[in-house]
Parts: sequence; structure tokens; C-alpha cells
Amino acid sequence: MLPTITVNDEKCKEPTSCRKCLLICPTHVFGLGTDVGPQKFREIDPSHFIVRAVRLDKCSGCMDCVNICPQNAIQVSFNGGDAR
Amino acid sequence: MCDWCEKYGDGYERWYFNPANYARRLYKIRREEAEASGAEANPQAAGGMAFVGSDFLEARERGDTAEVERMKQQLEGAMWLTHFGQVITLEEALKITDIMYPISLITCACRRSMEGLPDEENFTCMGMGAGMYKWERWPDTYRGGVHFLTPDEAKEVLSKLNKRGLVHSIYTFGTPYLAGLCNCDYPDCAAIRTVIDLGIKVLWKGHYVAKIDPELCNGCASCVHRCQFRALSFIPSKNKAYIDQFQCFGCGLCATECDQEAITLVERASLPALANVW
Repeated sequence: MLPTITVNDEKCKEPTSCRKCLLICPTHVFGLGTDVGPQKFREIDPSHFIVRAVRLDKCSGCMDCVNICPQNAIQVSFNGGDAR
Repeated sequence: MCDWCEKYGDGYERWYFNPANYARRLYKIRREEAEASGAEANPQAAGGMAFVGSDFLEARERGDTAEVERMKQQLEGAMWLTHFGQVITLEEALKITDIMYPISLITCACRRSMEGLPDEENFTCMGMGAGMYKWERWPDTYRGGVHFLTPDEAKEVLSKLNKRGLVHSIYTFGTPYLAGLCNCDYPDCAAIRTVIDLGIKVLWKGHYVAKIDPELCNGCASCVHRCQFRALSFIPSKNKAYIDQFQCFGCGLCATECDQEAITLVERASLPALANVW
């Protein structure tokens, strides 16, 4: 069963220094990307980094990511039910 | 025969021993369009390191095998033209350091994306060729900078990474141009993960298959943790390691760890049922 996983970018400000969800997920569902794509000749500001759930097929629904996120930015739901 | 050796081998034993596949003339400037594609609209770009989007996973979930097959073939076709890999052994990787120049040690984009791994812990990837001289164009692709290595230094690094248990593989950047020598593990390597979890062949098996001599295996199990491809297991009732040769990618990591020399690498081509299992 595939979950719906959302990350609120307004709340998740600096995932590159936090990394809590990336590291706690037992099946490594999350990925870190940017909302601007690669930038020529300049480094991307940490504020442009975003977390997304990409390996949805491996989410067991343990909710560890939801519980560990210090910003309450992650929601996981199955069957379109209420997100926790 | 391996499709890529057939197409691009030009008489060499392996396509990745053919110096022409590392030649400057094959190096292409990366396209602006691809770089700028909207990350928000594209979960792969946003999440960094997934080859497929949720539409593939959804088709798989609802059991739509025709659609899954169609998407798989479409993706493989595109990747084989642009960017895919093949597993190689340590010995083969060492040989490549004498063919290709320059070689540089860079941070791994997959682990950066999947773990947010800090640069100083993440120097496990090797970039090769003309493109490396222009790494400053893309500071985030080469986050942490670039260490240019002599062939001897590259050999030393590869041997250390092998000792750590990382799988070597060679990657195209605009096939057949070879410019990446990755050192990877499951689950954070996008290619290993995609081929193992989803069966999409963005990483080809190598030219060897590992084989255990049960007489020599003493049951120490030190090889078991070396397999990144779910090919190696342990038979407790016999106290022997077991290799599923149909699942084996031929990286040789189990063999380099076995101090009984109980594991040998057999040429894939010598095994009729496996000769075309890539």
C-alpha cells in the first residue's frame, strides 16, 4: 500500500543541517533536493533545499519521521485517510 | 556477449577497456534545459535520487503490468543512451585508472541526497575526464570540491573503498562516454536501489559470477555482509555461505574478503544460462 507523504517546506527550513527524517527512516524513503535545480557558478543557499518522500514503495507507516520532525512538517497517510 | 562490449568494445576485452570510450571527443557540454527543469514539478529532481516518479510506483501497486513494463522500457531506453552503469571488479577498476586521465575524487551525489551526508564524510565517488577540469561551473554537483588523483593514488583509494565494502561500477555520461567510477552500497545508491527494488536496469551486472567452493568454505560468514545485491546468504544447517548466481552482480566483494579463497569469479560468458543475464 502506497502512502501519501507530504513535507511542508514553510516549516522545514534547513533540512541539510537537521537531517533527522533522512536518518531515522528505517527504509530510507526520503530524499533531499533543491527547489531551484543546479545553479551555474554558484552554490545553492541551504534555504533552497527541500525534503521529499521518493521511495514510497518502501514506507511501512511507522511514523518515525512524523514523530521526530522538530517542526512538525511531515504528514503520512494511508488509504487517503486522515494524515497524522 | 555483453551488448555494450559488442557495440563499443572495438576488439578490446571489455568496452570499458577501450580507450576510445573515454576520449575527449565524446565529452559533451551539459544542456541548460535539463539542468533547469522544474524541481517542484518533478519529484525525481526534488527528491534528488529516484529514477522513477510516483506514477511508476502507483502502476506497480495496482498491478498494471503492461503499464509498468512500458514505463520500465521507456526509462531504460532513455538511460542507456545517456547515463547508466555496469558493475566492475576491483581489478578492473584498478586497470581503468591506467587508461583514463584525469581522475578525481568527489562527493557522492546519491548519499548527499539520501542522507544529507556532510561532504567530509562523503568522498567516495570518482569523476573522470575532460569535464572534471570544469567542475567549478557546478559547485553543487561537486559540493566539497574535487581532489585530482594520480593513477597510483586512485588505486590506493579504490582499494580502501573496496575494503570498506563498496561496489565499483563504471557510468556513462552520454553513452558510450565513460566518466564516472562509483563506489556504492544499498540502499542509498540510486542505481543499486532502482535495479534491486524496482527491476529497472540502470545498473548492469558485471562480466563475472561468484562461485563458492563448499570444500574450502569454513563457514566464517565474513563474506555475507559484503553483498549489496541480495545474492549471498548463509546456510546454518551446513555452516556454509550460499550464492544465488542468478542474482549475483559479479562485483567480487565477497571474494576479496574470503581468506580461505573459497570464492572465485567465473566468467559470465562461460555459463550458458547466465551468459545473457545482465
